[in-house]
Amino acid sequence: MSGTVEQEREIPPKRQRMLDMLMVLGGLKEEQAIPLSRVKEEIEALKAGLTPLISEILSFPDKYNKAFLETAERIRLAEQLTDHGIVTEAITRLEEALSIRRTDALEGLLNLLRSTQQKDETTAEERPERPRMDIGQVIEPLSGFIETVEDAIAGYETERNKQAQEALDRLHGLTEEFRNLVRLASENPEEALDGLRKMGTITRYGPFLRNAGQIRRALKEGRVTPARFAELVQTNMLVEMIRGLIMFVLNNVGSKTVMQLAEILDLEPERVQNAIITMIQRGEIKMVGVEEGAPVYARVLGTVPNTLLVLKRISQQMRSLLRNAEGSVRDTLEDAVGRLTSCLEKLQRLGQYDEAAIAEAVNEMREIADRATEAALSTESSADTEELRHLISAGLEAFARFRLRITLEKGPNLVEGKNVYGESLDPEVYRRMMDTYLENEIERGFILVLIRELGAMSVKDISERTKIPPDRVLQHVLRMKRDELLTIAGEEHGYVLYDVPRTPNEAEVAIQTITALIQDLAPAMRDLEQLVAELTAKDIGRLVNTLEAFSKARDKMAKITLGGSAIASDTIEAVRESIRSALAMAYRTRARIPSTRPKVTIDDLIDVDVPTVMDEYRDMMGYAPLLGFGTIDWDQSKCLGCRSCELSCPEDAIFLRPVIDLPEFFEFSEEVIDRFPSVRAMFYRTLRGLAVKRPTSNIVLEHDAPGFGHVEVDLWLCVACRTCVRRCPGPEGGALELDLKWSLPEVIRHLVTEQTSE
Amino acid sequence: MDSKVAVVLCTCGGTLQLDYESLRQEIAKEEGVTGVTVMDTLCQSEGLEALSQILSDVDGRVVIAACTSQKLQPRVDNSLGQGRGLNTSLTHYVNIREHCAWVHPDIEEATKKALDMIRGAVAATRLAQPLQVASKAVDAHVTVIGGGIAGIEAALSLSSLGYKVTIFEVTDRLGGHIISLPVIAPTGKSGAELLSGRLEAIEKDDNITVMTNTRVKFVEGEMGNFEVHYLQGESEEENVLKTSAVVVATGFREFKPTEMEEYQYGRNPDVITQFELSTMLTEGRLQRPSDGGPVKEVVMVQCVGSRSEDYKRDCSKLCCTFAIDNALELIKNDPDIHVRIIYMDIRVPFENELIYKESREKGVDYIRGRVSMVWRENDKTRVRIYDSLLNQYFETSPDLVVLSSAVLPPDGLYELSESLGFAIEYDGHIKELYGKLRRNETRRRGVVAVGAVTRPQFVSEAIVEAQAGALMIHNELQGGSVEKIARGALLDVDECVGCSLCAQQCPRGVPLMIEQTEAEESQTDSDKFLFKASIDILNCHACGVCQSLCPTGATQLNFLTNEQLWDQIAATLRDAGPEYPITLCFHCEECSVSTIDIVGTRRLQYPANVRLIPVPCAGRVSMVDILKAFEHGASTVMIAACETDRCHIGGTGNEIAQIHVDVAREILNAIGWDGRRVDMFRMFSAEPERFIVAVKEMTERAESLGPTPVHKGTAGRWMEVSE
Repeated sequence: MSGTVEQEREIPPKRQRMLDMLMVLGGLKEEQAIPLSRVKEEIEALKAGLTPLISEILSFPDKYNKAFLETAERIRLAEQLTDHGIVTEAITRLEEALSIRRTDALEGLLNLLRSTQQKDETTAEERPERPRMDIGQVIEPLSGFIETVEDAIAGYETERNKQAQEALDRLHGLTEEFRNLVRLASENPEEALDGLRKMGTITRYGPFLRNAGQIRRALKEGRVTPARFAELVQTNMLVEMIRGLIMFVLNNVGSKTVMQLAEILDLEPERVQNAIITMIQRGEIKMVGVEEGAPVYARVLGTVPNTLLVLKRISQQMRSLLRNAEGSVRDTLEDAVGRLTSCLEKLQRLGQYDEAAIAEAVNEMREIADRATEAALSTESSADTEELRHLISAGLEAFARFRLRITLEKGPNLVEGKNVYGESLDPEVYRRMMDTYLENEIERGFILVLIRELGAMSVKDISERTKIPPDRVLQHVLRMKRDELLTIAGEEHGYVLYDVPRTPNEAEVAIQTITALIQDLAPAMRDLEQLVAELTAKDIGRLVNTLEAFSKARDKMAKITLGGSAIASDTIEAVRESIRSALAMAYRTRARIPSTRPKVTIDDLIDVDVPTVMDEYRDMMGYAPLLGFGTIDWDQSKCLGCRSCELSCPEDAIFLRPVIDLPEFFEFSEEVIDRFPSVRAMFYRTLRGLAVKRPTSNIVLEHDAPGFGHVEVDLWLCVACRTCVRRCPGPEGGALELDLKWSLPEVIRHLVTEQTSE
Repeated sequence: MDSKVAVVLCTCGGTLQLDYESLRQEIAKEEGVTGVTVMDTLCQSEGLEALSQILSDVDGRVVIAACTSQKLQPRVDNSLGQGRGLNTSLTHYVNIREHCAWVHPDIEEATKKALDMIRGAVAATRLAQPLQVASKAVDAHVTVIGGGIAGIEAALSLSSLGYKVTIFEVTDRLGGHIISLPVIAPTGKSGAELLSGRLEAIEKDDNITVMTNTRVKFVEGEMGNFEVHYLQGESEEENVLKTSAVVVATGFREFKPTEMEEYQYGRNPDVITQFELSTMLTEGRLQRPSDGGPVKEVVMVQCVGSRSEDYKRDCSKLCCTFAIDNALELIKNDPDIHVRIIYMDIRVPFENELIYKESREKGVDYIRGRVSMVWRENDKTRVRIYDSLLNQYFETSPDLVVLSSAVLPPDGLYELSESLGFAIEYDGHIKELYGKLRRNETRRRGVVAVGAVTRPQFVSEAIVEAQAGALMIHNELQGGSVEKIARGALLDVDECVGCSLCAQQCPRGVPLMIEQTEAEESQTDSDKFLFKASIDILNCHACGVCQSLCPTGATQLNFLTNEQLWDQIAATLRDAGPEYPITLCFHCEECSVSTIDIVGTRRLQYPANVRLIPVPCAGRVSMVDILKAFEHGASTVMIAACETDRCHIGGTGNEIAQIHVDVAREILNAIGWDGRRVDMFRMFSAEPERFIVAVKEMTERAESLGPTPVHKGTAGRWMEVSE
């Protein structure tokens, strides 16, 4: 057994239940516990073992924090913290930790963060008086960053192209195979379906896999006639496979139009078009652009990468600046906007990509865009209307883009001239429209600026700060969320928090991680001191948890980097072994004393009458114990169709389905019929006495029919308790048999013998 | 089988167009028939005299072929059974009048039908087992749960019928809701007045014990031997009372519309419910609850919670009348009070229409529409009213807003139903056994439900229902002697394998599955859970659903065993063949027999090649019975049953039959027959044509589908067929 516990492992549900059962069934038999003296002995031994280790374990967080603080001061961490929300959160965490345990390092860190926060606030206030900035200077480095992004994108694209070529090569074989299967489907649908399912393992298109499995089962169980089955294979399954192929192309080759897909897959465009409509409805693909007049489709992704959102914002911001720019600034901006737009399009088509490669550049550009906006604000040269200046100050780039053009350019035209339909706009109406429009835009801009500066906010906060009524704020926020200017950042006191899309930088990630760890460790440190000082048997569980917290924190600390390198790696490495052995000792003791791990003997488990402990167990756990894994075999020649199995099953794992396996009634021998109860036997005899032909297929009933049916077991739910087997009133021991492939008591016996032989 | 059967044929005063001579000759040839007697008037005294002689000669094994057993059987049972102490339980009836002579003008065909059916009855009678009517003495004690008007009335009625009664009341006084009503339409009396005589009577009555502040926890046992477990006052100690029957009269609960924010109930003290206003009026403290000010303006809102999908789907029936009662009472106290009633529809049944008229004359304003909101403004309650006739909104500042809130079932009904075994309707009230004919009974024998616990009821209705309920109980208890039902399902425990099909499907939930823990030890080699059914024949309604499902024949109706029915099928179909295709019709003895009898009395005609076999409920017909009919040569088989949701057994017997028919149809199709040869039809005595349509359909099918494989001799040859 290796002692290191790395990360929490996901335990599969059935295994979890098995472990639970061990604990609890044992707990039910706790009277066989170990004598108290042994328990005391174990605890003393653990205490003795832990004491020399404990001081090192307890001191390492402080050492680490001190080193972190030093590094932070040295590399001027505070200056890199731009996200107000992260700072506030970090302060809250530190304050909580400090309320439990005070150390210099923590106070230092807190002070550092507090001063950052204050500076933020003062700069926010001072901003109007800031000296004028030259916008040209600000945007100068822009081109370089865009280049970085472009290079990264080129890299993505080469990578993607390589993948695409591989996929295309593979597709060749697939389309060939598919054509064969289409032919086969009309001759031998069953074989064709098998072939399709084999292809399905490559295309891995969910709806196909599900449907194929379903109709296969349906045929096997007689729920569909062979003719219907053939029809299903020839229509539904083939179309689903086409969808699978389309998905395969979109996943691996990239976004495509219908014509392109048809060519790649060697299919008629109509078939592709038909297949695609359902995929759009299913929300699997979406249109991302237009190429040669035809829509380009791409796979729908679960989440949009943050960098993409930020880039969008930057490009919109630049575009708005363009309106007021002149001369070389205008050229630079125009160039930037053009290049950014093309980058955005490419990224959108790529769908998902490695954000890390461009994150840095994108963040820098965001900085630049914000500063450039500020610079534009501070220049008085612009002769545009007051409203327009408000708009820019409000950072309302997205809206400026085309709405402003309409309002400022088209609007007056509409009033003075006529549109193509010969209609003109009433000046009064135009004025009203402009008023509400500008009012809306200004309010939205105000909200965006606030959130960008102060961090995530709820509608309530925004409303309080802006004095805009909450219902209007909500309207604005929702609108901006739809435009991807805002995202949901979580909630506070039941209110949803909205934030602008942000990508945390290294410093921010570090501060987030470290403060979270500090918050977790503060109570753990307090507990550990206390626990070791006065260790009792019942605390052993808490001790293990506390030590695990240290172990996890240590692992995470080892991964934090600041200024490109890890912090206090010596301390972290030195404490590793101590934590490991402390944890191992605690585990061992926990395993030995009964209050945490009950003593269970093999005999106990073998003799446990599951149904008798079931109620008690279920009360405790909410579900039945698992005694092993196996299959339940059903023998219709002993079944009365009475549903007793279904009614008695503690886990609802066995059902009587309204399907009559009639052909089998005609296979029973006379002896089989003889052992049935008299009336049931009479039924079989009368039936066979009447039959003119042997039935060929099962009867599928619409409703349950008492006395008839087909027993099915859901092995995912079956806990192998044998209740159904024992309850079955059928002749000759009943219709059900449990074939236990894996008996829990057996496995434990095996484990125990192995352990004792070691 | 040497039991001898006598057959009695009646000519109904020489009026029936049947060939009696050939009937007599043919029946006499039947195996087991000792004699055939033809009478002209069996139902008259000389006929009954002769019948009594025959009955004693053959120990009761008599087949009576005459008019409908619905009329004749009670007469025979009363005059010969109860009157002379003869055992009439073995007697079988064949209706040769309404089912043969009156519906088939062709004498030969009618006679043939009569003969076949008599043959069937003879076969069933030969195997009949005598039934003994037994009774057991029980305490003449009844428990009434609930001390409102229904409970009080039931207790008084039971007491005067000679029972000792205990009333359990959960509050500290009797009288329920009624005692707080200032006036009850159309009597014009107050609730207190209406109750005073009754409360006095209860006080004086030594037979009635009243236990206030008492809550019933659960009830154990069966009729004649119930044990009521109850708690008294604050005490947690459980007391037990032995009793023979239970009257559930727990009344209703007024809906408190706190969830309906538009009315501000529970937030604004001047918004009250109609019952709260009644209480105010009765106690003479009419004032604004918020500040004690005078009440001059009142707005009443109807249908609060009623006729709403969220709270109570249907009409609460009482609220309109209650609102008008209270409005009149308000005006009586102070003629200057202005009352507006905001309504959707005004529904005042019975004589209550009178007070509606009166209220109109006295100036109560009726506004059709809804109240859209209630709020406080400047220390006043404001109400916005939508008038749907004028399509306008009004606002007013009433002193009181009175909500006529819905009548809901009382709390704790589900808990009680678990041990008392009554069924609960979708709306949460207690479900009656059968809506048309057995309204006072619940699914459980010995438990009746009266008053508002079954549905919203006016005081007068609750009183009538309470009296009816008391009589229902008297009918069962007979002053302290419970009849052990002679007709019912008998269980052969040794045959039972414990499959629980009977327990799963019994419409009344009578069979209980009992685990055989002791038997387990004797069976050394197996760890089986052994269950055995246990049937309390006192609760059995003799429908035969259990029998039709039992795979072993362990549970069988004592008056219609499997063997009896199978022999009857075989005998009835003896002459069935391809040249004269026969439709065999199993019909239930509830709706179907009435329908078929009415077809007879109205002398409607239908094809004669149908043979009728009565069963107590369509659910008695099993899959084997249907297959047996085909085995013996039936061309088509039909089951006539009660309408959907109209099972007279208080449950699902007809639906079980439907399942059997559906499955049989599928099976027939699969084994090379035609599933159309079996079908099920729903009968309804008000529409006798249904039976005619059904018979025509099935006889036509018999004709068009031609000879069955049984006729052709291909049945059972499935092994020789390759495909």
